[in-house]
Amino acid sequence: MTAPMLTRRTLAAGLAAMPVAARAQGAFPERNFRVVIPTGQGGGAERLARSFDDGWSKLLGRQFEYEFYPGAAGQVGYELYVARREPDAYNLLFGNMGPEMIMYALQRPRFRFPDDITYFCRIDIDDSCVFVRQDSPFRRIEDVVAEAKRRTLNVATSRIPHPASIGILALGEATGSRFNLIPYAGGNPTMVAVMSGETDIGVLPVAGITAQTGRLRVLGIFSRENVLAAKTDNAPTINAVFGTRIPDLYSSRSWAIHTRAIERHPDRFRKLEETARKVFEDRAFLEAAEKAGQPLESIRFGDRAVCTEYALGMIELANRFRAQLSAQR
Amino acid sequence: MELDLATLAGLFGRSFSLWWAIVPGIALGLAVGILPGFSPQNTLIILLPVTLAMDVEAALAFMIALYCANHLSGSIPAILVNIPGSAGAAATCIDGYQMTKNGQAQQALVVSFVASVAGGLITSLAVLALLPFLARLGLVLRSVEMVVIILFGLTLIAVLAAKDMLKGLIGGAFGLMLGAIGTDQVFSTPRATFGFLELYDGLPLVPVLIGLFAISEALVMIEERVTGNAAPRAPQRPQWLETVDGLRMAARHWWQIVWTGFIGLVIGVIPGAGAYIASFVAYQQSRLFSRTPHLYGTGHPPGVIAPESANNGVTSGTLVPTMAIGVPGGSTSAVMMIVLQYQGIVLGPRLFLEQPSIAYGVFVMMTVAYLFMVALILPLARYAAKVVTVPVHTIVPLIIALTVVGAFADREYLFDMALALVFGVIGYVAVRTDYHVTSILIGVLLGPIFERYLLRSLRIGQGDILVLFSSPIANVLWCLLVVSVVLPIWRERRLARTAT
Repeated sequence: MTAPMLTRRTLAAGLAAMPVAARAQGAFPERNFRVVIPTGQGGGAERLARSFDDGWSKLLGRQFEYEFYPGAAGQVGYELYVARREPDAYNLLFGNMGPEMIMYALQRPRFRFPDDITYFCRIDIDDSCVFVRQDSPFRRIEDVVAEAKRRTLNVATSRIPHPASIGILALGEATGSRFNLIPYAGGNPTMVAVMSGETDIGVLPVAGITAQTGRLRVLGIFSRENVLAAKTDNAPTINAVFGTRIPDLYSSRSWAIHTRAIERHPDRFRKLEETARKVFEDRAFLEAAEKAGQPLESIRFGDRAVCTEYALGMIELANRFRAQLSAQR
Repeated sequence: MELDLATLAGLFGRSFSLWWAIVPGIALGLAVGILPGFSPQNTLIILLPVTLAMDVEAALAFMIALYCANHLSGSIPAILVNIPGSAGAAATCIDGYQMTKNGQAQQALVVSFVASVAGGLITSLAVLALLPFLARLGLVLRSVEMVVIILFGLTLIAVLAAKDMLKGLIGGAFGLMLGAIGTDQVFSTPRATFGFLELYDGLPLVPVLIGLFAISEALVMIEERVTGNAAPRAPQRPQWLETVDGLRMAARHWWQIVWTGFIGLVIGVIPGAGAYIASFVAYQQSRLFSRTPHLYGTGHPPGVIAPESANNGVTSGTLVPTMAIGVPGGSTSAVMMIVLQYQGIVLGPRLFLEQPSIAYGVFVMMTVAYLFMVALILPLARYAAKVVTVPVHTIVPLIIALTVVGAFADREYLFDMALALVFGVIGYVAVRTDYHVTSILIGVLLGPIFERYLLRSLRIGQGDILVLFSSPIANVLWCLLVVSVVLPIWRERRLARTAT
């Protein structure tokens, strides 16, 4: 490698460029942001991201442009983001940490967490729940477990590598009941499967189920507390009913960035972090999120440390249930 | 969900007053539909900042007009140059392009426009009348029933293979194998992707469609020009008389427009079922119940009517679950749902009581959009048909340039452009060796969704294959499937016996 030659001319050019560069640094962001969403259009992730950017774009003075790369339980979107998007802090990812870290643990994709990607702004905590259709013979979660001890119950789930799927498997393990997971590739088809009676019960994050009150009923929550008690007819927590020690299982949408972008552009990252945190004080964001069907009780900020801890915990949990969640025995 | 006449009249009046949103929606939908790779959902996403800023009714009218027009115009390149504008128009190529080769390009376009508009119009009116029933229908047709419905489409491979059964079945099996590329349907484990990230989500439909039909057709045109074997070109001066002739052809088959439209409506109601399932199933059924099945594939107008009417019937059906239970029936309706939710509109049965102008208004707007299309579309046939008079040295570079850009536009992967070229070569080889490219395409399109519903059914049955015969509706469909396979064979044998 040859060292660049420093001449008077290059020095002068460099000095002349300094104020311009400084101005450019200070002017972040200079252009719109591009966001990779590793799920399909029209889903909960898109609705929440758009609600959030209503407030965020006001603070940053730039717009957010979305690209959707669903497939392989989010693997496509993540790999594409890490490998093919410039780590310049203008490229972000909006993901669902729970299911996507399970995917990371099970499918061993071509990126490393947290070396390549860092979550830095958790937006919500959406607890996993067990639900049935309104006229189901199962009135309580105890009925479900009792029946599942007699016969294997079919359970609709968004995808097998998902916190809600882990929840029902853990419940089966703890109570000696049997559950058969049927993946429906998305929350909406999962709800339809339960409404139509194709499966006995369903497991999903609870926020979407509250929007279907009157057609679907929540029987139990995989969390230490039911923050949506008023909207779920006071559904109990699973651990309280059965005395089990199933960890809190929830989906959690978060903004993520290349870890290299944080290292290369700490000032840009600081600005993103600070402004993202401020969005939670913006009434407009909360109203937009509520209009998009997101219960306000589920909106909870989490910083980089909180997100990393949660993601690593989810990877550990997925490894524990690898045999049931993956085709690789 | 009941609707009285006075409210309905008011909704029609309001929808007509939104002509300023409907007409640009139609124009944009037509333009986008002609270009393979430019889907209505991508266009609506690009236009989200505009639609989110609009009044909710105007935004809906615009989106619906764009969506319906898009489904209609996919047939234009399918008929004129054998390039379906969308997967839903792939079945239209079979007879539409043959009509063009027979010098009936303008008639084929008129037949397709009339079938599309009438199919869409009839089914959107049917939705208004039958909404509560249709909303329940979406919950009755489950995975097991979908397995049989998709099998109806897959049997079309055998129909296309009729001339050379072995080659036809090889083509279909090849397509099914290609359709198995991507992550598995249960555990999301990648298979046969050769490490290409771009294949994890399966073979992308647009580049495959573009390659098999557009690029291969361009290669055939180049070859014919170079070797001087080009077939005689279609009529040089399209006449208004041909438009009238096309209208007459469509009118003669009005009943077919109605019932194939309803096939589209029913399939559209099932969340996740695409327009291409409807168009292939409708084509197969149309041929089955025809008195002249041997004419299909030779440029027979009902072969254009069936897929086009079904294709547009889907547009009405797909909005039923979206409005009635708040679950999008397809990707375009998912984008519409975002706009509605952004405006604070909660979808579901309550919407029909609280905001009937939106809930029923959607279907009224669709009806009005189709009425506008009657006036706007028919004159287009005469001018669109002039494409067949464009010289090969002009049209081939245009086809290749536009479609390769279309291959990129859908997912923005350069890989997809290369994939389109690879499938172009596969399509060219298939054409030149008498393998039916449509057989390959049916395998690629229907294979993955057949696998999805089959595996799901088997998991529901906990490994018991008898689950496929566990529902009364599915059993009726199985019987119809057997009839639709056996009947043509019996009919052909009877004809052969009569001839001897």
